[in-house]
Amino acid sequence: MDEVDKILIHSLRLSGTQVPEEVQSLQEFTTELIVESVVRCLRVIHPSLGTSLSHVLPPGMSARFRIGTSLAQACQELGYQGEVGYQTFLYSSEPEIRRLLLFLVEKLPRDDAEDARQPAGKSAGLLRAIAAKIKEELGTPWVPPACRTPRLQRLQVGPPPPQIQTHVSSQRALYPPHSRPSPRAGLRQQRLALGGREQTLQVKSRALELLPQAENNLAKLQLLVESSAQRLVHLAAQWETRRGPLMDQYRHLRAARHSCQLESTRRVSEIQALHERGRSAATEARRKEELCRQLLTELESLPKDVSRAAYTQRILEIVGNIRKQKEEITKILSATRALQKEINSLTGKLDRTFAVTDELVFKDAKRDESVRKAYKYLAALHENCSQLIQTIEDAGAIQREIRDLEEQVRVAGVGPGGWGAPRGPPSSSTEGVNMPPQIESEGAKKTLANLERILSDYRALRQENAALLGRSRDP
Amino acid sequence: MAEPEIQQLLGVGLIEKDTNGDALWVWCYPSTTAEMRDLLLRKCCLTDENKLLHTFVFGQYRRSWFYITTVEVQDTSVLKKVTHFSIVLTAKDFNPEKYAAFTRILCRIYLKHGSPVKMMESYIAVFTKGICQSEENGSFLSKDFDARKAYLAGSIKDIVSQFGMETVILFTALMLKKRIVVYHPRIEVVQEFTRTLPALVWHRQDWSILHSYVHLNDDELEALKTCTGYIAGFIDSKVSNRLDLYDVCVNLADSEITISQQAKEAMTMGKLHKEIGQLIVQSAEDPDKSDSQVIKVSLFYV
Repeated sequence: MDEVDKILIHSLRLSGTQVPEEVQSLQEFTTELIVESVVRCLRVIHPSLGTSLSHVLPPGMSARFRIGTSLAQACQELGYQGEVGYQTFLYSSEPEIRRLLLFLVEKLPRDDAEDARQPAGKSAGLLRAIAAKIKEELGTPWVPPACRTPRLQRLQVGPPPPQIQTHVSSQRALYPPHSRPSPRAGLRQQRLALGGREQTLQVKSRALELLPQAENNLAKLQLLVESSAQRLVHLAAQWETRRGPLMDQYRHLRAARHSCQLESTRRVSEIQALHERGRSAATEARRKEELCRQLLTELESLPKDVSRAAYTQRILEIVGNIRKQKEEITKILSATRALQKEINSLTGKLDRTFAVTDELVFKDAKRDESVRKAYKYLAALHENCSQLIQTIEDAGAIQREIRDLEEQVRVAGVGPGGWGAPRGPPSSSTEGVNMPPQIESEGAKKTLANLERILSDYRALRQENAALLGRSRDP
Repeated sequence: MAEPEIQQLLGVGLIEKDTNGDALWVWCYPSTTAEMRDLLLRKCCLTDENKLLHTFVFGQYRRSWFYITTVEVQDTSVLKKVTHFSIVLTAKDFNPEKYAAFTRILCRIYLKHGSPVKMMESYIAVFTKGICQSEENGSFLSKDFDARKAYLAGSIKDIVSQFGMETVILFTALMLKKRIVVYHPRIEVVQEFTRTLPALVWHRQDWSILHSYVHLNDDELEALKTCTGYIAGFIDSKVSNRLDLYDVCVNLADSEITISQQAKEAMTMGKLHKEIGQLIVQSAEDPDKSDSQVIKVSLFYV
């Protein structure tokens, strides 16, 4: 109860009620005080309601009664659920008053900007200052004493006076704490700022100390800086002697690893290619085996009566014969060519000889009669001999023609589908033509048949012509 | 003695790509965390096979700026097994020109001597005295590179000529501290554009919102999300699908500015904005006006 009373009293003080110092609980509240506090609260909560009422309780009973009722009415208008009437104020009981004041204090607006609405009073300024200070305090996160800057120290130093203390606790109880989001981040920031500030403070204080002997100290500092710089460079050089070889080694190893990787990928691809080839070879072999089996079965299913060997034998015989024939033909051709050459040269010789002789004899023929006769005989001889030669040539040509015609007849007689026995090499032109009887009969059969057909057709045609003629004559 | 200025350098590192095709962190001073090592390996262009060489890239991660210069090694150099290398510099301040010049000098030193020790001498010289000798009989003076010059180095006029009246959308977004995402397939274009944007809100002179080179990587995006407003540059086109990352999306390749759904209400613009836009466009088109004068125009409305 004490705590609640204390909170209430403070809130009432805030709203402008002049609660005396010694009053610590609601029990000590006089009627005047009650009325004043309620009126002031009403003025803060709802100015229109409160201004018409005076906070000073008039001495007259009727006036008091009037004020009591109007106060009760105002409270009810604000929404107070409990029973309230003039008796609450004039003949007050502690619990009732407590309830009412709690309700009113709750209704008090919580805005900080309410400062403007507070009535000007001699304590109001102080209260405002207090409020501002507390706001500032609440605005900065609490930092442990060891980490505080001087300003923070002043802010957060020592236990505040009791009113402030209770007010602060009441504020803290009533309002949610503001700086919850990142106390740790705030702390870190504070620490960093603190560190930076401490450093600058140290530097500045040292600079201050050195200032009297400015020149000397400046020179000394410069020397110090120089030596530090040289030391750093020296250290860097030392580090470089270590770092350089390590970097080279690292790079060398990376390059080696890279080349190893290349090698291994190459090998892997090779292996894959080999696998591929193996697989394709296997499929090929399987296919060939399959084919072989198929052909074997086919072979077995083929008729066995026909001997393949006989066929091959005959084919080989024929091929051999053809080869022999070819050789013979070549021989004969070369012989013929040689003969032809001889004939040509002889003819040429003959012509030349005759020309010379002719000329010779003709030269002498003019003078001598016998030579003239000889010349005539020579001419006649030459003429007859050339006729002879011509006749022989013609006979030879006719022989060839005969052979050709016989050949034609034979070919036409045999026709397609016939297998005549191979003929022997063609005999020389002087021999008679001997056709094997087999072929002759076959050929004769065919030609005879054709001939008979032609004859019968011819007879039929004649009959038709005759018939047509007869019909044309006798229409 | 050069006037004293506090060097904002945090560290220097060396990444090499060798004949095996590995990109490795080979040296750093004073130290790096595993997180930064991963990040910087991602940022330097040596890890991807087909990516082009980016001579100079820079960006920001958790309040540290990184500057990376990449160089191809010729066969005649002392570095036998190295094909390319990147020199990484981390610093607390934004100054691309200064650190580009410095990393170029360091690159040349490393190419010539083949050892990081020489690089470290120059680094410490710059760190302690603000000056170092370059390989070409010149010297690098840190004080030649003013921070303000870095801020002004970008060209506002180019931005205005690319986007015209839509520049006022960017201006509004920056003023309202919104999240802007910029995309282009080439990092150089993204960097050039994003580094100029904060100049539109010159009165703040705050380049810490600039993250000119971000990948769609969880750590980086988490770090990005801790900032309320930012300008983030991406070279991955998928960023336009990440609606959780931006309020305004700028596609430099197509010259398009998109405002995301959740930001449309906040970014509604009225007559005043139209006026601002017209004024900015007019002053940018004026050939007599310089970039800084165009910036002053935008300041007029602040």
